[in-house]
Amino acid sequence: MGYVELNVLNNATPLPETPLALGIDLGTTNSLAAIWRDGRPTVLRPEGRSGLVPSVIHFPEHGAAIVGREARDHAVADPRNTLFSIKRFMGRGLADVAQELATLPYAATQNERGGILLEARGRRSSPEELSALILRKVHEIAGVALGEIAPKKCVITVPAYFDDAQRQATRDAARIAGLDVLRIVNEPTAASLAYGLDQRDKGNVAVFDLGGGTFDVTILSIEDGVFRVLATNGDTHLGGDDFDQRLAELARKDLGSQHGEEFTRDPAFQQAARQAAEQAKVELTNHPEAEMHLMVPHKRIAWRRRVSRTEFEALTADLVERTLDSCRRALSDAKLTASQIDEVVMVGGSTRMPVVRRSVAKFFGRVPHTELNPDEVVALGAAVQAQILVGGRRDMLLLDVTPLSLGIETMGGAISKIIERNSTIPCEATEGFTTYADDQTGVDLNIVQGEREMAKDCRSLGRFQLKGIPPMPAGMARVAVRFHIDADGLLVVSAKEQSTGVTARIEVQPMHGLTDAEVEGMLKSGYANAVDDFAARRAADLKIEIGTMVRATEKNLNAGRAGLDKESIRDLEEALALAKAATATDDVPTLQSARDQFERAALPLAALLMNNVAQKALMGRELGDV
Amino acid sequence: MTNCPACNAPLETPVACGACGAVHAVPEIATPFEILGLEPNFALDERDLRRRLTRFSRLVHPDYFAAAPPDVRERAERNSARLNAAFEILADPVRRADWFVGHLGGPAEDAERSMPKPFLLEVLEWNEVLEEARAASKPDPRVEALAADLADRRATSLATITKRLDPLPPRGSEALTAVRRELNAVRYLDRALHTIEALRLAHAERR
Repeated sequence: MGYVELNVLNNATPLPETPLALGIDLGTTNSLAAIWRDGRPTVLRPEGRSGLVPSVIHFPEHGAAIVGREARDHAVADPRNTLFSIKRFMGRGLADVAQELATLPYAATQNERGGILLEARGRRSSPEELSALILRKVHEIAGVALGEIAPKKCVITVPAYFDDAQRQATRDAARIAGLDVLRIVNEPTAASLAYGLDQRDKGNVAVFDLGGGTFDVTILSIEDGVFRVLATNGDTHLGGDDFDQRLAELARKDLGSQHGEEFTRDPAFQQAARQAAEQAKVELTNHPEAEMHLMVPHKRIAWRRRVSRTEFEALTADLVERTLDSCRRALSDAKLTASQIDEVVMVGGSTRMPVVRRSVAKFFGRVPHTELNPDEVVALGAAVQAQILVGGRRDMLLLDVTPLSLGIETMGGAISKIIERNSTIPCEATEGFTTYADDQTGVDLNIVQGEREMAKDCRSLGRFQLKGIPPMPAGMARVAVRFHIDADGLLVVSAKEQSTGVTARIEVQPMHGLTDAEVEGMLKSGYANAVDDFAARRAADLKIEIGTMVRATEKNLNAGRAGLDKESIRDLEEALALAKAATATDDVPTLQSARDQFERAALPLAALLMNNVAQKALMGRELGDV
Repeated sequence: MTNCPACNAPLETPVACGACGAVHAVPEIATPFEILGLEPNFALDERDLRRRLTRFSRLVHPDYFAAAPPDVRERAERNSARLNAAFEILADPVRRADWFVGHLGGPAEDAERSMPKPFLLEVLEWNEVLEEARAASKPDPRVEALAADLADRRATSLATITKRLDPLPPRGSEALTAVRRELNAVRYLDRALHTIEALRLAHAERR
């Protein structure tokens, strides 16, 4: 369309009142921000660009880390120094993800607590720090779209099936990025908000959310504006990546037998195979057949192979079945049958695969909703939730649940359950403990999450040390420990010795995640940099914007000259020269004012051209169409 | 029922005032019934209970207090958790009965362990069927028959419990011991029913 470029000139519309909080979808593959504007949630995309930020970070030989689209472009040329799928490692230890790491082109080690550290360009970073870089980029892009620094307050989404450690890691990442997290919200629940399902007065909804690396299914009941989650289930290590891997396996087998196993561990091959697989998968969404092709130039290897959709679906049938297993479990927990579900909502880019849509439709016996872009629906819902949190809406009430049971390890390694899975949050339970030795002042607790019978099969939240119990004979102390799961789904533990009323201290050593002191440290060291970074990025963005405007104006000025008065032309030519000169500096205020002046001066031309375009468009049509 | 310390309107729930919106500190000893603003009766209207949860959640849910001062936010978070915990006890007749037995000074769960021998023999029989079904490759038709039987018995147990608790017996009454025994039987039934549901899921997954 002819008037696309002019949108840049048209930027001068007055800004709406400052929005207060962002909704951010921090995804395995892509991340995105949205905001509440003019009575509805809107994706934040800078003019002419997509708002989607690939969740990829590249560490160049010199200079700062590159995040997003540009980073993704480095993935093939420099696979060892380009990190992606970081979300899979949030709140996890090296031992948990050994299998996945085998297929990744970059290196990983662990910290002293077994927490994972990803390595690139000789630098070791925690998943929290890396996610913080992605969040900063999302925040920056949101700022470009808004035309001002985006709010620091935000809602961040996580897979519903994320456990305490994964949620904590997400929260820490946001803190390191300098954001103020109002709430951690579950992705499928957010999606249900975006679909405006509160418009229906009553019904049961299933949200099927298959993303790049995670899968959730959530069953909700909706009545009079109350969204009540009945049950949630899922797999935090099942997503589009796994479908890609099945296709990549074809290349691995073929080339492994031709060039040896060693070759298939070459990072350049792994990255090329990953990309070829992803492209083929996407193509198979719209075509019955696709060609996979990959090149590994330094080994002089080129490979191609045709794949049919039928073959792809056979290779991934078990993955689809795993998602349906989760659906069965969620329905069982919700005490509903598939036929009692009134609406099914599809979320996540991986639900574009025809086999997924078909299987879900068959399972629930109804056609699922796919009206909203599955890549955007979570961020949109997060913006709705952000609007509720800043006090903009009180008509909706969201009652979410904790996905996993919480328990304490007892004698012999068994578990005593404290809070059942699918309990509405916030929730709490109190357990009594006593001492077994005279004058014992501390108790160690191993708190776990999971559905298995034995503590060793569940995930430990870390060691909780109860300290400061007043010295008493054995068995006399009565320590009431309160376990509170807050609205973010995070555990807070507090304790009181009841006979003396002394508040006992709880010291938490997280299993893998960062300690508070570490987060503080990263926050302090990163904060100063962030301010400079921000100015530098803002300057760069302004220059890009000015460049686009200059080109658009120069291209159209001659055509428009005849229709403009002299004064407008003089203003515009002055502003044009000024703007060009401003791009030589890095000073944000100078650039900003040059851009603003240019924008104002370009308005008459923009209006004229818009008019012409509109007339042309009208002339091209039959009268009846108008 | 007391009145709101802030605006003196009558309080429907101790968690917050429906008139002025003040969020109050709830005494630790408040019962689930008090929190939901109900008289302590075993019989209750489930729809009314759900509506109360919604109505009171709208007063204290942390989503509405993100911008409040930290102490108010903390209190809302706490009250919301207590409201949810109270609701879960009251919404489930088994947990509700268990709460009454404790509240009225009846025997604790592990104080009244003795089950009649014929019952225990039956439990062993179910377990045998379930054990065999677990090992089998195909769904065992006996399992669904057993499930129907167990569900019937659970309903009968719940009817007995309701008869004993509605109207409420006096503190320390013998009826409470009988309810405790019935609750223990329900625990056995629920464990078996839970195993059956797990078997159903496992069969669906094995395909």
